Amino acid sequence: MAQTPGSEARTGLKLISPTAIFVILLLAVPLATVLIYSVMTGGRGNVSLPLTFENYSELWSKSVYGYIMFKSLMVALVVTATTVLLAYPVAYFVSFHVKPERKSLWLFLITIPFWTSYIIRVSLWFVILGYGGVLDSTLTAIGLQPLNVASYSILSIIIVLAHAYAPFAVLPIFVSLEKVDRSLLEAGQDLGESRWVTFLRVTLPLSMPGVIAAALIVFIPTVGDYVTPELVGDGKEPMIANLIETQLLKLQNFPQGSAFAVASMLMVGIVAVAFVVWNRRFIGGGK
Amino acid sequence: MTFSDDRPTMIEFKDVHKYYGDYHALRGINGTIKAGEFFSLLGPSGCGKTTLLRTIAGFEDISSGVIMIDGKDMADVAANTRPTNMVFQSYAIFPHMTVEENVGFGLRKDPRSKEDKAKAVAEALDQVGLKGYGKRAAHALSGGQRQRVALARALILKPKVLLLDEPLSALDKKMREHMQVELIKLQRQVGITFILVTHDQEEALVMSDRIAVMFEGEIAQLADPETLYRRPATRKVADFIGTMNFIPAEIVSESGDKVEVDAKGLGRAMLDISQAPAKTGETPVVGLRPETLTLLYDDQKPPERETDGVIDEVIYFGDMTYYDVYLGGTDVEVRLSMRNVPGRPVLDVGTKVRVAWSPSALVLFR
Repeated sequence: MAQTPGSEARTGLKLISPTAIFVILLLAVPLATVLIYSVMTGGRGNVSLPLTFENYSELWSKSVYGYIMFKSLMVALVVTATTVLLAYPVAYFVSFHVKPERKSLWLFLITIPFWTSYIIRVSLWFVILGYGGVLDSTLTAIGLQPLNVASYSILSIIIVLAHAYAPFAVLPIFVSLEKVDRSLLEAGQDLGESRWVTFLRVTLPLSMPGVIAAALIVFIPTVGDYVTPELVGDGKEPMIANLIETQLLKLQNFPQGSAFAVASMLMVGIVAVAFVVWNRRFIGGGK
Repeated sequence: MTFSDDRPTMIEFKDVHKYYGDYHALRGINGTIKAGEFFSLLGPSGCGKTTLLRTIAGFEDISSGVIMIDGKDMADVAANTRPTNMVFQSYAIFPHMTVEENVGFGLRKDPRSKEDKAKAVAEALDQVGLKGYGKRAAHALSGGQRQRVALARALILKPKVLLLDEPLSALDKKMREHMQVELIKLQRQVGITFILVTHDQEEALVMSDRIAVMFEGEIAQLADPETLYRRPATRKVADFIGTMNFIPAEIVSESGDKVEVDAKGLGRAMLDISQAPAKTGETPVVGLRPETLTLLYDDQKPPERETDGVIDEVIYFGDMTYYDVYLGGTDVEVRLSMRNVPGRPVLDVGTKVRVAWSPSALVLFR
C-alpha cells in the first residue's frame, strides 16, 4: 500500500472535493459577486458598467449611513460586553462550583432557551418589557414610575440580543476555565495572594482565550443582525443589515447594497483581527 | 543522630483528625517537627501523607485537633497568610508568565523597590541553578527546570517551612538522584525546615533528618532514618522500609531488659529489650535485614552464630548477589545479600552453605 506523495495529495484532493465545491459555489462565488457588484453602476434592478467607487463615496458622503454603521458597531460592542460580563460568572460557577458529574446537565440547561424559536423569544420580551408588561406593572404595583423599556428601541435591542447570545458566550468561557489547572489557584494562595487577587492574576488571564472567543462569537453575528431591529425596534432603529436589505430588496440597488455589505464586512474584519491580536498575548504565553 | 534533639519546635500536631464525609483520612496525628529539619512524611498512596501536608499549608481544614506553626495555632490562619510555601507535585508553574514573573509572583506586596525585587529574583534563580533563564516562557521548560522554578518561587519568600509534595516523582531516575542531593544541599544552605512527602522509602532515607512513616491515617513510627531501618517499631514499618526477612519465633522467657526467643531455623537467642518494640498482639516473628546475614567460606569461623542452609534461588545484581536460603533444614527461607568480591564465585542453587548471623541484628515483633 505504499503511496507516493503525489498520489497521496491526489487522494486528499478527491476526499475534500465535495466540500471544496460546496464552499466555492456557496461562499466564494457569492462573495466575489458582492465584491464585483459593489464597484459597478446600478439602480432599479440593473447592474452595469462602468466600474466606479461611487457606491462607497455615497456611504461616506451621507452622514445617515455613517451614523447607522456607527450605531450598529456600538450596539454590537455593548451587546458583546454585556453578554460576556454576564456569561463569565455563569461559566465560572459551572466550572468551579458544580460537581463534575453535574456539569453537562448544567450546560444542557443553559441551552434550553434555544428550544424555542427566536421570534417567539422576541415576542416574549415584549410581554416583559412592553407597555403594561410584567416589568412595568410590577413597578407600578410597588409605587414606582413605569419605565416602558420597549419604547427605547436601542435599549430593547441590546437586551434581547444579549439574552439571545448568552449561551454562546458561556460555552467557550466554560471550556477555557475547565482547562485551568486547579493547583495553580492553590499556588497563587500559597504565594500569599487572596482568592480574589489569585483570580485576577491567574484564573482571569488563563481564561482570556475563552473570553475573546466568546466576544467574537457574539460580536460577529450581532453586527449584522437583521431580525431583532426589525421586530423589537419596529424598524425605527435600523442597523446595517436593515440598510443593506432596503438597498438590495426594496430599492433593488444591488451595487449600493453590495458596497454597504463590503463596508460592514471590513468593519467586522478589523474588530475581529484586533481581538485575535489581543488574544495572542494570552495564548502565546510570551515569545 | 542527635541533630533534631536540641532544635526548637517548628510544627506541632496535637491529635489531628480529618474526615472526608465518612472517610477518616487522618486518625489522631501527634508529633513535632523541629526548626531547620529535613522531615519526610513517608507511606504508601492513600495513607494520608499528602492530606497532612495540605493541612499544614492550609489547603485542607482539620476536623479536630491543633496544628501549631512556630508556636501559633493555625486554626484561623488562611493558606495565603501562613509562613509556609509549597512545591506542588505538578509544580503549578503559571503557564502565562515568564520564569521571572513566576519566581516574583509572591513579591507583589513586598515593599522593596522594583530593582531590588528583580535582584532577589535573579538571586533565587541563581540559587536553584537557573541563572539567565528569567526571560524564558514558563511553558517551554523541562520537568527538572519547572521544579527548580517552583523551588525558587517558594524560597524567595523565605518561608519558615517549605512543603514538598512528591516533588521528584515526575523525574527520571538519574535526574531524581541528582535532585535529591541538590535538595539536601539547598536545605543546608538556606536552613529552612523542609517537609517532604514521598512514597519512596529510599528517597526518604537518603534525604531526611527524621521520617514519619504513615499507614492508614496514622503515624506508625517517627524516627531518624537509621533507627527506622535498624529498629522498626512494627512489622508493617519493617516491611515497608527496605527488605526484611521475617522468621517465626517463640518467646522463651522475658525478664527485665532481656528477651529470649527461639526462632525457627536459627535457634535460641538472647535479645536486648531495645530489640523488642512495644507489643501489638501479633504472632511473634523476628526480623533480619539481608545484609546482616553472611555466607561463610569453608574454613571461615563465624563472628557470633552460624546456622546451616541450602541455596534455593540466586539473584545476580552485578555488584551484589542475593541468595534465598532455606535455614537449618526447615521451610524458613531468608534472603541475604553478598558483595561480589574477587575470588568469591557466585554460588549455585542447591549448594549447602553456612549462614553467619548476629543476635544483635534481630528485631522481635510480637
